Amino acid sequence: MKKLEARHFAFLGLFLVVTLTMLLNIKLDMKASPYTQALYNYIEFLPEGSTLIVSFDHEASSLPEIRPIATAVLRHAFRKKHKLIGVSLLAEGTLIGYRLMRETAGEHGAEYGTDYVYLGFRPQYIAAILAMGESIEKTYPQDYLGNPYGQFELLKGVQNYDDIAAVVSIADGSLTTHWIEYGQARYGVRVVGAVTAAMVTTYDPYLASGQMYAMMGGLRGAAEYEKLIGKDGGGARGMLAQSSAHIYVILLIVLGNIAYFSSRRTKGSG
Amino acid sequence: MEMGTIIAGILTLAILSFLYRDNPIYKMAEYLLIGVSIGYVLVITWTNTLMSLLFVPLFAGSDLWLIIPLILGLLMWARFHKNIASLSRIPIGFMIGSGAGVAIPAMLYGRTLRQLSASVTPLVDSSGVPNISGIVVIAGLLTTLSYFYFSREHKGHFGRLAKVGTFFLMVFFGTTFGYTVMSRMSTFIGRMEFLLTDFLRLAN
Amino acid sequence: MGRKFPLAVCFLFGVVMFIQYFSQSTAARNLNQTILDYWQIVFAFTLIVGVFSFFKNNVTHISRGADRPYRVVGLIGFCSMPILALIWGIKADTPFMWMFENVQAPMQSTVFALLAFFVASASFRGFRARSLPAAVLLISALLMLLSRSNIGGYFSSGLPEVANWVRDYPSMAARRAILIGIGLGSLTTSLRVIIGIERTWLGGEK
Repeated sequence: MKKLEARHFAFLGLFLVVTLTMLLNIKLDMKASPYTQALYNYIEFLPEGSTLIVSFDHEASSLPEIRPIATAVLRHAFRKKHKLIGVSLLAEGTLIGYRLMRETAGEHGAEYGTDYVYLGFRPQYIAAILAMGESIEKTYPQDYLGNPYGQFELLKGVQNYDDIAAVVSIADGSLTTHWIEYGQARYGVRVVGAVTAAMVTTYDPYLASGQMYAMMGGLRGAAEYEKLIGKDGGGARGMLAQSSAHIYVILLIVLGNIAYFSSRRTKGSG
Repeated sequence: MEMGTIIAGILTLAILSFLYRDNPIYKMAEYLLIGVSIGYVLVITWTNTLMSLLFVPLFAGSDLWLIIPLILGLLMWARFHKNIASLSRIPIGFMIGSGAGVAIPAMLYGRTLRQLSASVTPLVDSSGVPNISGIVVIAGLLTTLSYFYFSREHKGHFGRLAKVGTFFLMVFFGTTFGYTVMSRMSTFIGRMEFLLTDFLRLAN
Repeated sequence: MGRKFPLAVCFLFGVVMFIQYFSQSTAARNLNQTILDYWQIVFAFTLIVGVFSFFKNNVTHISRGADRPYRVVGLIGFCSMPILALIWGIKADTPFMWMFENVQAPMQSTVFALLAFFVASASFRGFRARSLPAAVLLISALLMLLSRSNIGGYFSSGLPEVANWVRDYPSMAARRAILIGIGLGSLTTSLRVIIGIERTWLGGEK
C-alpha cells in the first residue's frame, strides 16, 4: 500500500469538514451583498412580461455551483412572469439549460411557447451573439426540439436585441465577456451576469464601467438570492459547508505559514 | 433507488478515488467521460446546429446559397488527406479573417476605450474632498499598465511605478484566489450533497 | 494556392467584417448576418472534424494495443451517445438525456471538484508570505475568504464592506489594466492576421 503523504491528510481534513457540516443540516442566516441585491432588483422591477434571453454559457463541470445560481434566477424570472428565451453557447450547457428551464417553468405553471422557449446551442459564440443582434430568427430558425421559430407566440415580434430587455448570462467562464464586448458594445443589449465565484473578479471591471448592469456570483450569491426570493435551494443548503471549508482553507494557510516561519527561524539560528 | 442515481454515485466515487492515487478504476471512468463527452458534442452539434442552420433549409430548397458553407465545411475534411490537406486552410482563413475583422472594433471600443473612459472620474468632488476610490483606481490602472510595459527597462521612477503595480496585481491575484477557492469548494459541496443525500441517503 | 489563396480569403473576410461594422445599410446588415451564419456552420464542421479525429486516434491506438481496455470503454461511451440520440431523440427524459445527467455531468463535475482538494493542499504547502508582495496576495485572499464566510461577521461587522471595497477598487483596477493590455494585444494581432503578417494559423507545411 502506498504511504500516505501530507497532502492526503489535507484532503481527508477537507472531506471531513464538508461531510460533517453537511450532515448537521444547519441553515445559516446571511445578508444579501450589494451585488446580488442589484441583480435581484433588476429582475424584480422589470415590467411584468419583459422578454429576457437566458444564456447557459457553462460546462457540466461547474453544474454543482451553477445549478443553484441558475435555478434561483429562473425561479425569480418565472415568478415575475417574464418571458424567457433560453439559448446556450457551450454544448454542455445545452441540456442543462433545457432541463433547468423545464423544471423551474413547471414549478410556476409556465407554458412552453408562450412563457418560455428553448432555442438551444450555437457553436461559435461570437458569431452567434453578433448574428442574434441582426436577427434571432435567422440565427435560430428552429428551437431546440426542431420546431420552427415562427410557430411560438412568445417569439412573434421578437426580431433582435431591440425586443429584449436583457441577456442573463449564466457562465462559468469568459463567455459573458463576449456578450458584453460584442452584444452590448455593438447592439446595446443590456447584459446581466450570474456567474461562478471564480469568474467574479474577471467581470468586476465591466460591472464598474456599467457595461454589465448587474452580477451575482457563486454559491454564496445563490444563497443570498434564494433568501431574497424567499425560496431555499442548493445555495442555502450548502452555506454551512461553504463557510466551514473557507475556515479550513484559512487554517491551512495559517498553519503552512507558521511552519514556514518556524523552519526559517530554525535554519537562521542553526 | 433509481438506476441513474446508483450509476452516478459509483462513477462519482470512481473519480474521487484519484485523490488517493491514479488507479485503473479512475482511468476507466476518465476514458468513459471523454468518450461520452465527445459523443455528446457530436449529437448536439449535428442535431442542434447543422440540421437547423444547414441541412433543413438546404434540402427544403429555401436557401441554396447554403451550398457555400457546406463546401467550406467539407473542405475541413481535406486535412485527413495529405495531398489536398492545404485546402482545409480556406475555411480556416474564412473563420480567422471573420474573427479578426469583428474583433478589432470589439477590442478597441467594447474593451479598451470603454474601460479607459470608465477610469476617468473626478478625483476631487465638488466640496473639495478627495475621491479616494477614484484615485486608487487611476493609480492601480497606471502602475499596473507600467508593469506590463516591457519596451522600457524597469529602472528609476518608472521602475518604482511598475513596482507599485505589482502590489495592485497581488491584490487582484489574492482576491481571485479567494473567489476561486470558494468556487472549487462549492463544486465539491455540490457533489457531496449528491452523495450524502441521493446516493447514500445519510442527509435530508 | 497552398498559402496565398487562404491568406486572400482571410484578408477579404477580415476587411469585409471590419467595414460592415460602420454601416447600417440593409445590404451591410444582410451581408453581416449571412457571413455570421456561414461562420457558425463552418465552425460546426470543425467540431465534427475534431470528433472524427478522436475516433480515428482511438481506433489506431486500440489496434496497436496501447491502453486498449480504457480506449475501448472510451469508444463505447462515444458511440453510445449518437446511437441513443438516433433511436430515442434528444428531448427530456430520453436515454440520451439520462446518459448526460447520470454519466457525463456527475463525472465531469466530480473531476472539477477534485480541484477543491488540490487547492486545499496548495494552500498549506505553497501559499507562503515569503516577501511583501506575497504577503499582500495572502492577506487579500484571506480577507475575501473570511468576508464571504459567515464567521467573518464575528471579527468585524465592517469586514464585508472592506472586502467589497478591495474588490471594487484596487483589485478591479489591476484587472482593468490586464484587460486593456489583452485588448490592445488582441487588436494588433487581429490587424496582423488580416494583413497577413501573422500566419501561424496556416501551419508549417507549404
